[in-house]
Amino acid sequence: MGVALLAVLMLLLIVVLREVVQHRERVHAAAVAFWREIVVPRPEPEPERIPPLDRRDLPGFLEVWNAVHEPLHGETTPFLARLASEVALEQRLLPRLAHGTFHSRLVAIIAMGHIKDPDNFARLQPFIDDRNPTVSLCAARAMMQIDPTRAVSQFVPRIVSRGDWSQGSVATILAESSIEQVSRELTGVTLQANVEIAPRLIRFLAGVSPQATAPIVRQTLATATDERLISTCLQVMTASEDLDRVRPLLSHARWHVRMQAAVTLGRLGVPGDEQALIGLLTDRQWWVRYRAAQALLKLSFVGRDNLRRIQAAQTDAYARDIIEHVLKEEELGLVPQAA
Amino acid sequence: MFQDAWLHAALWLQWLFLGYFLSISACYLALNYISLYALVGYMRDHRAEYLPKSLRSYQPPVSILIPAFNERETIVSSVSSLFKLNYPQFEIIIINDGSTDGTEDEVIREFQMAEFPEAYRQRIPTKHVATIYASAQYPQVRLVDKENGGKADALNAGINCARYPIICTMDADCILQQDSLHRVVRPFLEDPKTVAVGGVVRVVNGCTVRDGMLEKVELPDRLLPLFQLVEYLRAFLFGRLGWSPLNALMVISGAFGVFYKERVIAIGGYRHDTVGEDMDIVVRLHLNLRKERRPYKITFVPDPICWTEVPADLTSLRNQRQRWQRGLIESIVPSLEFIAAPRSGTVGWIALPFMLVFEIIGPLIEVTGYLGTLILWGFGLIPRDSFLLFLFVSVGIGMLLSINALFLEELSFHLYPRLGQQFRLTFAALLENFGYRQLNSIWRAWAMITWFFTFWRKGHWGKIERVGEWQKTDASPAPRNPEGK
Repeated sequence: MGVALLAVLMLLLIVVLREVVQHRERVHAAAVAFWREIVVPRPEPEPERIPPLDRRDLPGFLEVWNAVHEPLHGETTPFLARLASEVALEQRLLPRLAHGTFHSRLVAIIAMGHIKDPDNFARLQPFIDDRNPTVSLCAARAMMQIDPTRAVSQFVPRIVSRGDWSQGSVATILAESSIEQVSRELTGVTLQANVEIAPRLIRFLAGVSPQATAPIVRQTLATATDERLISTCLQVMTASEDLDRVRPLLSHARWHVRMQAAVTLGRLGVPGDEQALIGLLTDRQWWVRYRAAQALLKLSFVGRDNLRRIQAAQTDAYARDIIEHVLKEEELGLVPQAA
Repeated sequence: MFQDAWLHAALWLQWLFLGYFLSISACYLALNYISLYALVGYMRDHRAEYLPKSLRSYQPPVSILIPAFNERETIVSSVSSLFKLNYPQFEIIIINDGSTDGTEDEVIREFQMAEFPEAYRQRIPTKHVATIYASAQYPQVRLVDKENGGKADALNAGINCARYPIICTMDADCILQQDSLHRVVRPFLEDPKTVAVGGVVRVVNGCTVRDGMLEKVELPDRLLPLFQLVEYLRAFLFGRLGWSPLNALMVISGAFGVFYKERVIAIGGYRHDTVGEDMDIVVRLHLNLRKERRPYKITFVPDPICWTEVPADLTSLRNQRQRWQRGLIESIVPSLEFIAAPRSGTVGWIALPFMLVFEIIGPLIEVTGYLGTLILWGFGLIPRDSFLLFLFVSVGIGMLLSINALFLEELSFHLYPRLGQQFRLTFAALLENFGYRQLNSIWRAWAMITWFFTFWRKGHWGKIERVGEWQKTDASPAPRNPEGK
């Protein structure tokens, strides 16, 4: 009997919950529609008078406000700044930041980043160490928008310790920031990082500034023995003067290092390198043969016709097949990216 | 004297059945509350896109593998729907597993494919791969034409051809949403320990699908698919989500799952000698990674990402359920040595025993329990109160669990927002406990008995009559590079 009663109670709960959610969604949708008309930039002149912002409309307003700022990449417009000031946005955000639910707190953090008031930097600072990665990353991004110089020195060292931060999000935040500051800070941290973390940092650095990466790559390749680190360096290498460090890696014991070395030669190689790549066409690993054939095709001084000649000269069936594969792939426009 | 002993045994059995039903219900309720906790946390973190989308270079490219055996009716629209996926880089590999209905011709014609001299490498042994086709018009699509070897063999051939580090396996008749891949790949970005991710499979019967994409969500008109809809909600929203926080998820639906390719190759790919290759691969991943003492995560995302047509007739449904049960048995039985083994963690101490007792042997106990109680009551060997108590526990808790699944759906995605839909769902959630659930138990118990007597005989893909009633239009392929590359 108790079970049946519980089932009926659950059903009632569902119906009540549905009504509450639907009511809330209706209010929210109305607020979003109303404020979108005002906030979204349009050709006609800006409204002279900003309507008062009702308390229950605040979530809808914030949704529009944050969405309008996203494509501006950390910038704001005079109208949006005026709007924030007239609706007293900042004051309304403070209670949400202190006592809001997870969602309203996050929305407040994002909005504070767009407002760019230096006073908010200190308010956001505790959130960069929040256990939840979404909260801490949003706080880091907002701080970067408010004061990039101060924020970068707090954000970058934390990349090392926060294994739960998604690499894509970290890279996006770094890409939105000032190249000089980020690359300076990242370079310092990368040089001190262990082999577990260094590949991640080198990749971030390469995303921000390939120039700043070159000396680190050079230094790492001269000393590193860790295969993952070496592979990462090869992937981000852009300077052809470092090719002397690449060529010996074509015979590295680990296949993925040989493969990355072949890809690097395909990108930066000079006449003479094709011989080393031809040697890899008979490698025991499929990916090495495949990337070596692709690299040969990519070298401007080799090209399709020469590759056909190289194919004809091969005695190994695997080498001939992989060249055929790569030539046909190029002909059809099927060129996959990463392995 | 003899009658006393009989009565004593009957009463003892009665308590055994009651104990079984109480323990299974307690376990399901516990799973229910774990998934409630997990779902609330998931919805909190993923309710909105708080951070800008990751840079393209940080979203791993994905190889989508579609094994196809006599899927001529649905294959083109399924592949076409994939062109609309909102994901930066992916390839589609269709594996024609020796179809006899012209699936291969249909794909070649629709996607203007030509033979491709692929330097095929057999990292996992498979049946003979005859030809690989590619298309200049649809550069992300390839067709692998191979000798018939079963779904597992087809998937292994697809893995051999896959270029990318993440593979996504999906059924040829599945319908996705634009953001399906983005959502299901997200755990790989959030936690590098992730090796496999499953997602919720929803029922497409009754929905409107246009050009291979889900257009409008509706409930099925017929009772049988409606029962299955409730069952899917129960199975996915707490059956699987509940195991995920314990890192003991044992099933990733073959209809849609994402795996780290090298880990699948490391365990030898999919096994050919089971009909439940989707469950088997997950169980072996768990056991292998635990044996190697590697930190790993097998995750479940509760988002509705894949829609599939469920059987609309009893014969197909019976075949499907018996195939699932055989697959379950074949996946779990070889792993029994890991039950309570040192370092087997939540998999060996909780999930495997649970699967063995409640999912494999359970249906047999349930059927015996139902029949035994009815017979004993009919002969007046157990009191009416005991009979009613048994009925309330078995049927009442079943209702509660189904209603709880509806509650989880309401709490999260509320895809069926109208009050009429809610009443129909509730009606189905209550009604399925009178006959449908018991019928399922009978089929599963029968599958277990037949499996036992044909222990070493190889299973086959069950044949499900698909009517494709949800397809509003016959979709044609999208133009070249439709994802805007």
